[in-house]
Amino acid sequence: MQSSLFLTPLKLSMFIQAGWITLVPLLIMLTVRKLRSYEKGTAGMSRTGPLEADPIEDSGAAPSQEQGLLNDAPGEYRGFLQQFRDASQDMADVNEHSLYLKNLKAPATLFFLNGLTDKPSLDQFVMRPLLEWANQTEGENLPTGGDLRTLLMEQVLLVSEMEAVPDVETALTSVLFGSTVLLLEGLPGVLILGSSRGNTRSIEDPISESILRGPRIGFTEALSDNTAMLRRQGKSKHLAMVSFRVGTKVEKTLIVAYFKDIADPELVEEVKRRVQAIEMDEVLETGYVEQWIEDDFLSPFPQVQNTERPDRVIAALLEGRVALLLDGSPFALLVPVTFSMMLQSPEDYYERWLPSSFIRMLRFVATWISLFAPALYIAFISFHPGLFPTKLVLSIVSTRKGVPFTTLIEVLILEVSIEILREAGLRLPKPIGPAMGIVGGLIIGQAAVNAGIVSPILVIIVSATAISSFVAPIYSAGIVMRMLRFPAMFSAALFGLYGLIMFFLLLCIHMTRLRSFGVPYTQMLAPKSYGDWKDFFLRAPLRFMRNRPAVFRSQSRKRK
Amino acid sequence: MELDKKNERLTTGQALFLFIGSMMGSELMTLPREVAQTGKVPDVWISIIISGLFYAFISWIMVKLAECYPQQTFYEFIQRLIGSWAGKAIGLLLVIYFLVFAGFELRSVNEVTSFLLLEGTPTWAISSVFLWLSLYMCAGGLFAIGKMCQVVVPIFLCALTVICLIGLFLFDSNYLRPVLSEGAMPVIRTLRTTLFSFSGHECLLFILYQMEKPREGRKVVGYGIGITLFFYVASVIVSIGAFSVKGVVTRTWPFVDVIRGVELSFLFLERLESLLLSIWIMQVFITFSICYYLAALGVSKVLRLPIAAALFILLPLVFLLSLLPKGISDLFAVGQLLGLVSFLFFSIASVLLLLIAKARSWRHG
Repeated sequence: MQSSLFLTPLKLSMFIQAGWITLVPLLIMLTVRKLRSYEKGTAGMSRTGPLEADPIEDSGAAPSQEQGLLNDAPGEYRGFLQQFRDASQDMADVNEHSLYLKNLKAPATLFFLNGLTDKPSLDQFVMRPLLEWANQTEGENLPTGGDLRTLLMEQVLLVSEMEAVPDVETALTSVLFGSTVLLLEGLPGVLILGSSRGNTRSIEDPISESILRGPRIGFTEALSDNTAMLRRQGKSKHLAMVSFRVGTKVEKTLIVAYFKDIADPELVEEVKRRVQAIEMDEVLETGYVEQWIEDDFLSPFPQVQNTERPDRVIAALLEGRVALLLDGSPFALLVPVTFSMMLQSPEDYYERWLPSSFIRMLRFVATWISLFAPALYIAFISFHPGLFPTKLVLSIVSTRKGVPFTTLIEVLILEVSIEILREAGLRLPKPIGPAMGIVGGLIIGQAAVNAGIVSPILVIIVSATAISSFVAPIYSAGIVMRMLRFPAMFSAALFGLYGLIMFFLLLCIHMTRLRSFGVPYTQMLAPKSYGDWKDFFLRAPLRFMRNRPAVFRSQSRKRK
Repeated sequence: MELDKKNERLTTGQALFLFIGSMMGSELMTLPREVAQTGKVPDVWISIIISGLFYAFISWIMVKLAECYPQQTFYEFIQRLIGSWAGKAIGLLLVIYFLVFAGFELRSVNEVTSFLLLEGTPTWAISSVFLWLSLYMCAGGLFAIGKMCQVVVPIFLCALTVICLIGLFLFDSNYLRPVLSEGAMPVIRTLRTTLFSFSGHECLLFILYQMEKPREGRKVVGYGIGITLFFYVASVIVSIGAFSVKGVVTRTWPFVDVIRGVELSFLFLERLESLLLSIWIMQVFITFSICYYLAALGVSKVLRLPIAAALFILLPLVFLLSLLPKGISDLFAVGQLLGLVSFLFFSIASVLLLLIAKARSWRHG
C-alpha cells in the first residue's frame, strides 16, 4: 500500500490542538471529581455505611426504663406541674385546664394545644368520664400508683390511643403534636391521650396532575390521610409501610411504602439506607428528600419521580417500585424511575389502548419538539437552508430580511421572553394570569414582528415549542426540557446540524450512564428485555401485560 | 454499589448491535465505489456475499476461541497462549491497529462533515467535540457503549432501509444485467476488496466475555454477519442500479449521492441527505468509540493502567493519527490497509490460536 508515502508532516499547531483536546476533558473530569468529593464528605460516607437499627425500635426500648422511674412520691405531681409550666413558658398556644377528682381528693391538670387538639372529643371522652367516675365512686378502696393508672386506662378513659411516659420532655413533645397530657396527683408519670385532630385540607383533585378519567383524589398534607388513601387503594396484607424519623431539629415522619412480595429487597434496603443518611435540621418537603437520596446531583434529569396521585403510587408499587411519603407534603416520591416514565400519565392505562398509545406517541413527539425545535430552526436557517423546499426557504428569508440580528440572538430574544412570561404567569393571582398571557403572547409577539425584531416564522416555532412543553405530564420533567433547550440552541449555533447530533448523543450517553437506584435511566430505550416495550411508545392492551417490567427485578415477574 | 453490579453485563441484543456497529462504520459509504473499481462489472455483489460467508466462518472460530477463556479478553488470553512477552507485543500491535482504525473513522467524519455539513469549520473543532463525547461514553465502559449501540444502530439500520427505498426511485435494473456476463473471474478478482471490508468483526474477541449469556455468541455472529451482509449488498446494488458501474466509480461517496439524487417534493424536507448523514455520523461515532475503547482496553490490560488513564493517554494520539493522511485518496488507502491487516491477522491468528488452545486442553486432558 502506498499510503505511508503520503502522510502530512506534523506541525506544532497540531500538537497544540491535541493538547487542547486532552486538557479540556481532563479539567472537566477533575472538577467533577472535586465536586463529587464534597458530596461524599457530607452524605456519601454514611450512605454506604451499614444499615443501622430500625429507628422505630429505638423508641420502643423505653418501657423497661419507665418501670424503674415511675414512683408515686406525693411531691411528684407538683414537681411535674412546675416542670411542665416552665417548659411551656413561652408557648402561648399550650393550654392548661385544672380538675379536681373528688373520690381521690386529688387535683389533676390537662395540657393541650389550641387548634391541634380535638376539643369536643376531649370534653366528651376524657373530662366527662373522668369527672363522672370521680363523683360516682367512693374513695376508700381505690388502688394507688401503677394500679390506679391501669384502672384509669382500662376502665375510665374512653380514648384508644394512650401511653404513659415517665418524663415531662416526651410529654411536651406529644402535646405539641396535638395529644392531651393528664397529670394527676398520686399517679406515677404522665398520661398521654391521643386526641389530635388538626385542621387539614380536605381531599381534592390534584392540581399538578389533573386527568380526565380516573380517581379524583390527591394526597394532602396529613401523613395519616395519605397512608389511609394508599391503604384504601391497595387493600393487601403485603403492603408494607415502614416509618422513619427524619430531621435533626424538627423531626418528621417519613414512610417508605412497598409491596413485601414484589419489590426487590435490595432496592428496599438501599432506599432505607439513603433515607437514614439524611442529615438536615428540618426536612420541609419531599423535594428535600429527593435531593438527598438522588444518585447524581450533577445531572439535569430528575432521578426521582414525584406525584400527588395515590393511584399512581399504587400502580408503581405493583411494578416493584418503592414510594416515600413525608408528613406535611402532598407529594409522594417514587423510585427508581426511568426516563420514559416521565412521559406517562395514569390516564394512559384507564383509557383503551389505542387512544392511549396515540397520546403517548404524541407526547414523545411533543417532547422532541420542545427540546429541539428552536435549535433545528437555527441550524437550518444559518447552516443548511438547502434542506427545505426552495419556496419555503424563499418565504422564510424574505420575512427575515428586516431582522437585524443573527438567528441565535433572534431566537434567544423570543425564547427568553417567553420563559419569563411563563414564569411570571405562574405566580400571578388566578384572575390576572390569563390576561397577562394574552398581553405577553399575542400583543408583544405581534409587536415584535411588526417592529422587525423577530421573524413571524420564529414566532410560530417558539409558540409551538412552548405549547409542546406543556404536554409533559410531570412538571419536573417539563422543566428539564425547557432548560436543555438552551444548550441545544447554542450547539446548533456553533456547529449546525452536526452540533445538534453531538448534543443529542451527549444526552443519550449521559442518560445511559445515569442510574436511579441501580436502574439504568434509559432502560426503556435500550431494554434488557424487549418485552418491556409493551409499555413504552405504545401502551399494549392490558391483557398483554402479564409480566412486571424486568427493569425493577421484582421478586415475582408474573402479575397474578 | 451492589445494586449496580448486577446489570453490568451485555445482553445478547446489545452484543449483536455492538458487533454490527463495529463493522458498519465509514466503509459502507465508500464500499460501492471500491468494489466497482476493482470488479468493473455489476456482479460484484456476489463477491460480497462470498466474503460475508467467509467472515461468518472466521467469526464462528473467534467465538469458539473466546469460549475457551470465558472470563478474559483477547489481550489477556493471548498472553496465556503464546507466552507473556509475545502476547504483550501482539497486544500493543493490536492497540496500534485499533488506534489507526479509530483515526481513520475520525478522519472520515471530518471529511464528510466539512464537505457536506459544515464548510469552513476547522477540523480540530469538529474533532474535539467528537472526541470528548467519545471519551465520556468510553469512560462508562463497554456496558455504556453497548447500550448506546442498542439505541443508535437500529436507528441507523432504519435510515439505511429508507435510503435503499429512496434509491429505488433512481433504480434501473438494466445496469445490473446480465448477471455473470464476463464469467466468474471479475467476481473472484473483487474478493481482493470485499474481503477487506468487514474489518471490525474482530471486536467479537473482546466483547464476548462481557456477555450475560456467552452461549449465545453464535447467534450474535449469525445475525450480525447476516444483517451487515444484507446492507452491504443492498448498498452496492442500489448504487450500481442508480448510477451504473461507470457512474459509481466516479463518485467519492456513491451511497450519499443516491440520497442527494432524489428530490422528495412531497415531503416537508426537500432533501434528506443532511438528516441521513447526521444519522450516519452517529453510527461512525459508535464505530470510532468501539475502536478507541478497545485500544484503551489493550493499553490498560497490557500496561496495567486504569482504563480512564489509558483513554486520556490515547486521546491526543488518535487526533494526531487522524490528521496524518494527506488527502481523501490517502484516507481510502488507509482504509484498505486496515482491511488487509484485519483480514490477514485475525483470520490467521484466530485459526492458529484456536488450534493451540485445543491442543493445550487436549494435552491437559
